[in-house]
Amino acid sequence: METKFTEAYEQQASDTGHETDCSKVAQLLDAVVDGEATAEEQTFFTGHLEDCVPCFESHQKQKLLKGLVSGNLKRMLVPERLALAIKTKIQATTV
Amino acid sequence: MSDQTGKQISKEEKDARFEAELLPVLDPLYNFAYRLTLDEDDANDLVQETYLKAYRFFDYFEQGTNAKAWLFRILKNSFINEFRKKSKQPAKVDYSEVEGYYNSEDVEGESGVATTTDMRTESVQDLIGDEVASALNALPVDFRTVIILCDLEGFTYEEMAKILDIPIGTVRSRLHRARNSLKEKLEKYAKSMGYNG
Repeated sequence: METKFTEAYEQQASDTGHETDCSKVAQLLDAVVDGEATAEEQTFFTGHLEDCVPCFESHQKQKLLKGLVSGNLKRMLVPERLALAIKTKIQATTV
Repeated sequence: MSDQTGKQISKEEKDARFEAELLPVLDPLYNFAYRLTLDEDDANDLVQETYLKAYRFFDYFEQGTNAKAWLFRILKNSFINEFRKKSKQPAKVDYSEVEGYYNSEDVEGESGVATTTDMRTESVQDLIGDEVASALNALPVDFRTVIILCDLEGFTYEEMAKILDIPIGTVRSRLHRARNSLKEKLEKYAKSMGYNG
């Protein structure tokens, strides 16, 4: 039963091979953007993007999204007294 | 605490090592505390609490290892144990999604930010920054956390798994969902500003 199912699935996959690759790429999107993909995954990803405009665009979007946070999010100023308060408390603590 | 030869070191020396190795993490740690609590006073308390705990357990910290990840983990645990219960703004740390995220009052709330609030001189960059902050703050705290740890603080998936005490697979799936959520919120904003497609 399993064999028939996988045969049918593989037949479908080869007919719609394009979509299956796209869904694999979609799953790798975050890992690639975060530099966490393996070399093999990276190669597959890059290769697919050369032939697939929608996937290329979603990669661009994901890079942009990450950049919005890493490049644009304002950092809060640490209150001046905080470092001093910590040092004082540490020095007063006898463990 | 003993040094490598097994001799007891003085408190002065321990304090000096503690300050040298752990105080440099103060800036990102405070920012993380603020993003979790969304309140400057709570962030202040949370950070102090974290450093005190870290000091109590300093003997167990291996010199030269990942001080930043270690402190972030302590802070995250303190937040879960103590601050989520008594947060001054429970709605903002609620796990359910916040509807209608864009609240003009929230933009003014970023009071400690190192930039001008004069609308006439505020650059596009600042406006984008405000929007990203608003969208991020409106996310459930778990989503907000993974995005900050990954995109802002540059932790690896493995480090994040250790900080959050979850499997790497969960880090990946949570990050994926968090980014989708953030994307949705930012797209709403872009549309409201007249950008289409």
